[in-house]
Amino acid sequence: MTAAASTTATKPARRGWAFLAPTILPGFGTAFGFTLAYLCLIVLIPLGHMALRAADVGWDRFWAITLAPRVLHAFFVSFGCALAAALINAVFGLVVAWVLVRYRFPGRRLIDAMVDLPFALPTSVAGIALTAIYAPNGWIGALAKAAGFKIAFTPLGIVIALVFVGMPFIVRTVEPVLQDLDAEVEEAAASLGATRWQTFTKVLLPTILPALITGVALAFARGVGEYGSVIFIAGNIPAVSEIVPLLIVARLEQYDYAGATVIATAMMGVSFLMLLGINFLQRWTRSRHAR
Amino acid sequence: MAIEIRNVEKTFGAFTALGGVSLDVRSGELLALLGPSGSGKTTLLRIIAGLDHADAGEVSFDGQDTRDRAARDRKVGFVFQHYALFRHMTVFDNVAFGLRVKKKAERPAEMDIRRRVDQLLTMVQLSHLATRYPSQLSGGQRQRVALARALAIEPKVLLLDEPFGALDAKVRKDLRKWLRHLHDDMHITSIFVTHDQEEALELADRVVVMNHGQIIQVGTPAEVYDHPADSFVFDFLGGVNRLNGVIEAGVARLDGKAVRVDGAVGADGPAVIYVRPHQVELGVAPAEGVPEGKWSARVSSLHAAGPVARLELDLAGRALEAQLSRDRLSDLALEVGSWCTVDFRHARVFPAKS
Repeated sequence: MTAAASTTATKPARRGWAFLAPTILPGFGTAFGFTLAYLCLIVLIPLGHMALRAADVGWDRFWAITLAPRVLHAFFVSFGCALAAALINAVFGLVVAWVLVRYRFPGRRLIDAMVDLPFALPTSVAGIALTAIYAPNGWIGALAKAAGFKIAFTPLGIVIALVFVGMPFIVRTVEPVLQDLDAEVEEAAASLGATRWQTFTKVLLPTILPALITGVALAFARGVGEYGSVIFIAGNIPAVSEIVPLLIVARLEQYDYAGATVIATAMMGVSFLMLLGINFLQRWTRSRHAR
Repeated sequence: MAIEIRNVEKTFGAFTALGGVSLDVRSGELLALLGPSGSGKTTLLRIIAGLDHADAGEVSFDGQDTRDRAARDRKVGFVFQHYALFRHMTVFDNVAFGLRVKKKAERPAEMDIRRRVDQLLTMVQLSHLATRYPSQLSGGQRQRVALARALAIEPKVLLLDEPFGALDAKVRKDLRKWLRHLHDDMHITSIFVTHDQEEALELADRVVVMNHGQIIQVGTPAEVYDHPADSFVFDFLGGVNRLNGVIEAGVARLDGKAVRVDGAVGADGPAVIYVRPHQVELGVAPAEGVPEGKWSARVSSLHAAGPVARLELDLAGRALEAQLSRDRLSDLALEVGSWCTVDFRHARVFPAKS
């Protein structure tokens, strides 16, 4: 494959279909070969091997394990909470980015630095910190308890943990686009009679939408893969607040390697499909005005 | 619509953008705000549009104070220097924007919007590009989209910020002519900002010359060109020769010889004599001496491409630029290194700045 690629690259432009469009940039063969080898070693071979191991158990058992109520529910919690958190972040992350870009106020740099904290912190630290606050005996948890509901040890707690870890993705992807926005475009909208709200929905939002979707996709992907911060706050009650990664660890601890591998493979499949879908969505929004 | 501007002031930090500016814009005229960068012309335009707020003073439209009217309620069409088109919208949607954001009660039916936008696109000669996006257009086309978009809301005033600044020379000339025709057809009170004196003089009914946040002179292009109020205006409106001389007993003198000048002469002391290149009169040098009241100069370079010949002369160590017709040049038979006599048809004298 790589050898074929390098020969087509070095040949002058052929008629008809070509593996690579003619380019003056040298080194395609080497760079492409390295890319493939690297991805194979790091991503493809381990994941492929896992899928093969999962295939050992046979289709019937594969589906039996995956479609068990407890596993299905874990999938629902994992993807549902990640999606909810990403959408919440889409709104509030956008507000944070907006405030950081548009206003100059004392402490702006401090807040700017705080945004990145979830990136840097070990997720277990986030988990402990959030649980301490949101548990029924914590500050906010106590208030919630008085109001008659629980935050920690429910899916709500998981959503909060995922909002925490996903927030920087939205802020940091939207921020540069907001910075690049031309003030003149907003002034043009205003002079044409648009209200602030119309300017926001018809002019600003469509401009930042591609970046926002990218941010949401990253936050969502991170949320699906999150483990450390969730296991503390979730309580891990089967069929209530149990996420897929935890279920896999649980199976491993019970020496059920086949079960763990099957669930892991299913998880991988669903994640891949979702990312693929998001990619198409991104392409579609970009194609609407990147021309 | 007539616009009255009274004692408008605006500062940005320590910088005074406008220092008490007053101006009357007549209904239906095409007015140019001309000045170098930093002269406050764009700030004044933005204050009229409501995009900036004056620190003091007032702007009124047909006698009504505009202080409490936001930009979106002023019915002012604004064309931005870099067009500020909505890049995620097609040309059609850009032009339709102003109509679509109107309140429900005032918004025309979609059919009428369609008709109005088509009409505008035909007017700016872009109907074949209605479905394109701004990034697919050339600079001149974007400019016309911006203009059509501003005109869609049927503005009472049209404001243009450096409308031709980002275009190449040929397109600029065409658009200039086209804008003049458009204005003659529509008679919207229009103000445009420019730093290009040629553009202002050619296009505008009246020219407002600004410098350092002040209005220096207001008048028709002929008035400001022929009777500049001060040395700055003289300097800014086209090429000029500055010759150091003196004023003695109410007479301007260059190398001891009297210079006939238009207008006031001013107090005695060092002075600068201003002469436009085409007001320099050249003559055949006599065999001996210099005729009474004339100067003698040597041709140091000569550019004779096009209908007008440009000469650089050496007048007793000073560089002097002269313009004359090609015919006159061949009559004089001048070439580099030859001598000629120099006289000034029109000149102005201003006291030298200390």
